[in-house]
Amino acid sequence: MTSADQPTMIEFKDVHKYYGDYHALRGINGTIKAGEFFSLLGPSGCGKTTLLRTIAGFEDISSGVIMIDGKDMARVAANTRPTNMVFQSYAIFPHMSVAENVGFGLRKDPRSKDEKAAAVAEALEMVGLKGYGKRAAHALSGGQRQRVALARALILKPKVLLLDEPLSALDKKMREHMQVELIKLQRQVGITFILVTHDQEEALVMSDRIAVMFEGEIAQLADPETLYRRPNSKKVADFIGTMNFIPATVLSEAGDKVEVDAKGLGHVTIDAAMAPPAKGESPVVGLRPETLTLLYDDQKAAERETEGVIDEVIYFGDMTYYDVYLGGTDVEVRLSMRNVPGRPVLDVGTKVRVAWSPSALVLFR
Amino acid sequence: MAATPSSEVRSGLKLISPPVFYAILMLAAPLATVLIYSVMTGEKGAVSLPLTLDNYYELFTKPIYRALMWRSLMVSFFVTLATVLLAYPVAYFVSFHVNPSRKSLWLFLITIPFWTSYIIRVSLWRTILGYDGILDSVVMGLGLSDTQPNILSNGVLSIIITLAHAYAPFAVLPIFVSLEKVDRSLLEAGQDLGESRWMTFLRVTLPLSLPGVIAAVLIVFIPTVGDYVTPELIGGGRTPMIANLMETQMLKQRDQAMGSAIAVAAMTIVALISIAFVLWNRRFLGGRK
Repeated sequence: MTSADQPTMIEFKDVHKYYGDYHALRGINGTIKAGEFFSLLGPSGCGKTTLLRTIAGFEDISSGVIMIDGKDMARVAANTRPTNMVFQSYAIFPHMSVAENVGFGLRKDPRSKDEKAAAVAEALEMVGLKGYGKRAAHALSGGQRQRVALARALILKPKVLLLDEPLSALDKKMREHMQVELIKLQRQVGITFILVTHDQEEALVMSDRIAVMFEGEIAQLADPETLYRRPNSKKVADFIGTMNFIPATVLSEAGDKVEVDAKGLGHVTIDAAMAPPAKGESPVVGLRPETLTLLYDDQKAAERETEGVIDEVIYFGDMTYYDVYLGGTDVEVRLSMRNVPGRPVLDVGTKVRVAWSPSALVLFR
Repeated sequence: MAATPSSEVRSGLKLISPPVFYAILMLAAPLATVLIYSVMTGEKGAVSLPLTLDNYYELFTKPIYRALMWRSLMVSFFVTLATVLLAYPVAYFVSFHVNPSRKSLWLFLITIPFWTSYIIRVSLWRTILGYDGILDSVVMGLGLSDTQPNILSNGVLSIIITLAHAYAPFAVLPIFVSLEKVDRSLLEAGQDLGESRWMTFLRVTLPLSLPGVIAAVLIVFIPTVGDYVTPELIGGGRTPMIANLMETQMLKQRDQAMGSAIAVAAMTIVALISIAFVLWNRRFLGGRK
């Protein structure tokens, strides 16, 4: 994990990119710190891959400045930038062996042949492919190709490693396994990693900080917990995880407190920290499913409780999702309950009591 | 549910019988005839027993055969070299720099020379290369030389130029196909790993396009060795190649046995060279995804 006083590795200053009339990047600003695991997260077409490619030098920017380690990259070609990339398709050279692939970038390295071979072997060992050097690259599995691509990039000791949706081609088990391996690897080598992904869960699991992008702009740049608990817009809240949106009216606003009346929940006081700046939308309050709890038998709510009726039950094994109509209204919320022994899964139509906490509410307006 | 093996075999044979019939009648039978003729005794317009190796003995001892075979191979070698060297940049340009929606148009345009009969194309080359022809006029007009180059008087050179022009599209297409198959992210990877565009071409694009180059070499080399029309038309028969000698033996001398022996020898040499070439390059042809 990085601390706030770490030096800046990459800085974007009002970066714009046009493809003809299409405005792909619309004024990107922000910094990425040295040694950080940083993610660019967003739906397809949001500009995250374009931004990554401008860092690598594969795309020119139309205006603005990209600084890497204090140097303006405007006139620096891709092959001389202190960055290396793990491509989405891995881009393993099919006419070479694994070792030749990993050693591809060492041609101009002044070290002797034996030293280079040792470096290649070391890089392969680091990614868990010890002894694979002589194999033909085209005979590898998807996961192995990815490891080769990682070793090939890391052997050059770049200041920044760029990862373009590296896990999207792997199956679920392998993906989860590689997520953990990548985190470990990043801590081990201490290089700045920049990951592009459309998978919000992956971004939350792996990153120190995340930039959520929509339509060529960074909507929010924050650490995973802030992003999840205090999204700064309805759009970000909707993209990261699941969130219930409940229509509300703002009653009054004084100091750091906002008084609202949320449909089905009643009168609530929300901390100003949980109310990002107004955007002129009709007000809603957001609640994550896991902040709502069903009350069984004579359990008492710690803070607030509301009555409801179960409309839908979705059983997941370890969890059950319930869709519940709140307090005789047409407001439906989803809540998640961990399945524990002695707590039965309830049926559709059951009248329930739902416990919730005002501090978990976020106000969007 | 499954048919018995024997009936499967029967239906399989039925399915392949038309091509088998074709292959036997059109390929195997003529080849066998030529092979058998080559070891028979030639008479005027006929062949007869006994079987003999005299034809081959003559082939290996008389210098004229060796000289013409050698000339044919040299011409083919230079035609192949020129064709592939000129076709590669064209194929590269179409594959990498032409808008994808226009690629088929470009390939179509490249085949335009084929719309004209080869005889006419050869005649045109005579006009271009001959004494006081277009090339001579240009060279003299620009004052590049005091004497007319008259390339046509150099039989081998004019044959090479004419053949290289004729086979250019055959070389462009296989090279184009193999370049199209090169994953473009590999080129970005090459640059990402510190190589310039030129070094990335040498280390990535070129080796990956070699299967197409090898195909182009074979497609151009094999037929040009046996080319008969070009030496006849371009040099008026003054610069014969091995195929012209076959024609002389077969039709003018009416010694079909000798003609067949030349054909078998030429075929064997071309086959051996081609096999050696493919084996030498087999590491570039290996299976890959």
